[in-house]
Amino acid sequence: MHNLTGYATNRQLGLIYMIEVDNLSKIFKVYHHRKGFFGSFVNLFSRKHHVVQAVDRISFTVRRGEIVGYLGPNGAGKSTTIKMLTGILVPTSGSVTVNGYIPHRQRKENAKRIGVVFGQRSHLWFDLPVQESFELLQRIYRIPEMQYRYNVEIFDELLNLGDFFRTPVRQLSLGQRMRADIAAALLHNPDVLFLDEPTIGLDVVAKARIRQFIQKINAEREVTVVLTTHDLDDVEKLCKRVILIDNARLCFDGELATLRRLLSTERLLSVDYAEVYPDISIPNAHVIHREGARAQYRFSPEEISTADLIGAILQKFKIVDISVQEPDIEELIKTVYEDNLTLERKLTEPISSDTQAN
Amino acid sequence: MKSLYLIFQVYLAFAKKSFQRRMQYRVANLAGLTTNFFFLLVHVFVYTAFYAARTAPQPLDLDEIITYFVLCQVSFMLMPFWGTHSEVTSAIKDGSVALQLTKPVDFQTYWFADECGRACYYLLMRGLPTFLISILFFKVAIPQQLTVLTTFTVSMMLAIFMSNAITIAIFSSGFWTLDTTGISGMSYSIITLFSGMLVPIALWPEWLAHLARWLPFEGLIDIPFSIYLGKITGVEVWIAMGKQMGWTLFFVGLGRFLLTRGFSRLVIQGG
Repeated sequence: MHNLTGYATNRQLGLIYMIEVDNLSKIFKVYHHRKGFFGSFVNLFSRKHHVVQAVDRISFTVRRGEIVGYLGPNGAGKSTTIKMLTGILVPTSGSVTVNGYIPHRQRKENAKRIGVVFGQRSHLWFDLPVQESFELLQRIYRIPEMQYRYNVEIFDELLNLGDFFRTPVRQLSLGQRMRADIAAALLHNPDVLFLDEPTIGLDVVAKARIRQFIQKINAEREVTVVLTTHDLDDVEKLCKRVILIDNARLCFDGELATLRRLLSTERLLSVDYAEVYPDISIPNAHVIHREGARAQYRFSPEEISTADLIGAILQKFKIVDISVQEPDIEELIKTVYEDNLTLERKLTEPISSDTQAN
Repeated sequence: MKSLYLIFQVYLAFAKKSFQRRMQYRVANLAGLTTNFFFLLVHVFVYTAFYAARTAPQPLDLDEIITYFVLCQVSFMLMPFWGTHSEVTSAIKDGSVALQLTKPVDFQTYWFADECGRACYYLLMRGLPTFLISILFFKVAIPQQLTVLTTFTVSMMLAIFMSNAITIAIFSSGFWTLDTTGISGMSYSIITLFSGMLVPIALWPEWLAHLARWLPFEGLIDIPFSIYLGKITGVEVWIAMGKQMGWTLFFVGLGRFLLTRGFSRLVIQGG
């Protein structure tokens, strides 16, 4: 017992879990507003509100060095969770620890060891050159000169910051700004990196570059990464593990491959018709896209076999081309959101036959 | 001690960058300078007309009145309450306050440092030029005693701190109302009147002036300028500055309370 300070001991032993979230809930009171001059004054005293449960009893853990995709539709509670992990929001109930700290109680301590990037908003000072922002961050996080220089050099190498290092942030392109923002979040060698939509609005090349960078940093520095995104390419390229939430509740936590296997009973069938038919509906198949003479169906092989479906189509219409695809994850996740129950049912059912087959 | 110095350095860096950032908008500043001078002219013409028609002697003579309003225009932009305040204030409104909270800094001190940098910038680029131009056109009184100049400087700094503290307290209400237009509009009218910005409190009817003396806002304008004009002297200077200091501490405390409460129930816009 030569060390009585809990944190140091924890850190020496090496925490297994970088992030522990247990039964976390957040309830917002949404206030009704009165407009105008007097209204805003009355608002100060009025108490009319309704309650919104943004996060509902979510539990998960993240190991050191893991990259986790935290996914869900808009308003599912993703950002609220991230904000509780970064200490911005106070949970209504449940517990959170990041790196052994309780973020909302030890906000500043926690802040020193995490990096945060919100894709929609920049952390950099809008009217300062990138370099000046970095220097300011060096002061804020008290980054030793050596470490600072080393990091800037490495990040420059990987992200080509040099091209715009002296340019004010407001003049940067979105891609440049994003690169600068991610580099800025990593200057102080954080243990955990929270990325909220890091590739939003970027072109393919810029996206690829940022993904590569994240991968490299994760591999070389063992930075734990929590990624929220709507871009499923991000997920496929970066995350082995995904956590899916919907309606404030956790609905899947596991490997991306498992999720895909669970849901891949659904298939897609694309058909190019010879002419535009007014009614192209086929029993047991849903038309999900239709554009001119081209149509896409979703069907479940349990309900109708691929052969039967194609047969049914050929019987009714003239076609030019036809092809069957496995759905991409975007489709998969859409299915999960649309039909949460299906997934729950599938998760509780034994999947042994499936695993044995592999 | 060393860690305190390091902390100070962080916020000093904030203030410096805040200054530097504003240096980029020089054309806008020139336009602002013109506006300051325009408002000064309006005040000067109105009071010149009043004084031409006066029947009884007034507590301030015309030159003193003109000096008072020159000082108003000089310090107008230094105080975040009237001047364009830093974007930190809008941070609560648009939710980017969240980003600030992910950094290991104290929000109120950061805000304060940012406003100090802003005040220095406006002193150099707005205040002093306005003063120099005014000297060319009007008879502006300049205190001859060093003590008056130093006490004025200290009182002016207190006024800027207080303006800062009040602004933070007002904008912190944004955590509850989300739209601060109403509350800040209302405070704007009250504070502009009771600070003596429109009419020096010395010229007010007795009962109203009495009320103003009990309110904090005279500390923003009337107290420092009265010190400058030599209307407050001796022990009264210390009492007046004590009042400024006390109210500043009060508003800093209020702001801190509101911010702490606000953060703990934060509803971030655009969740």
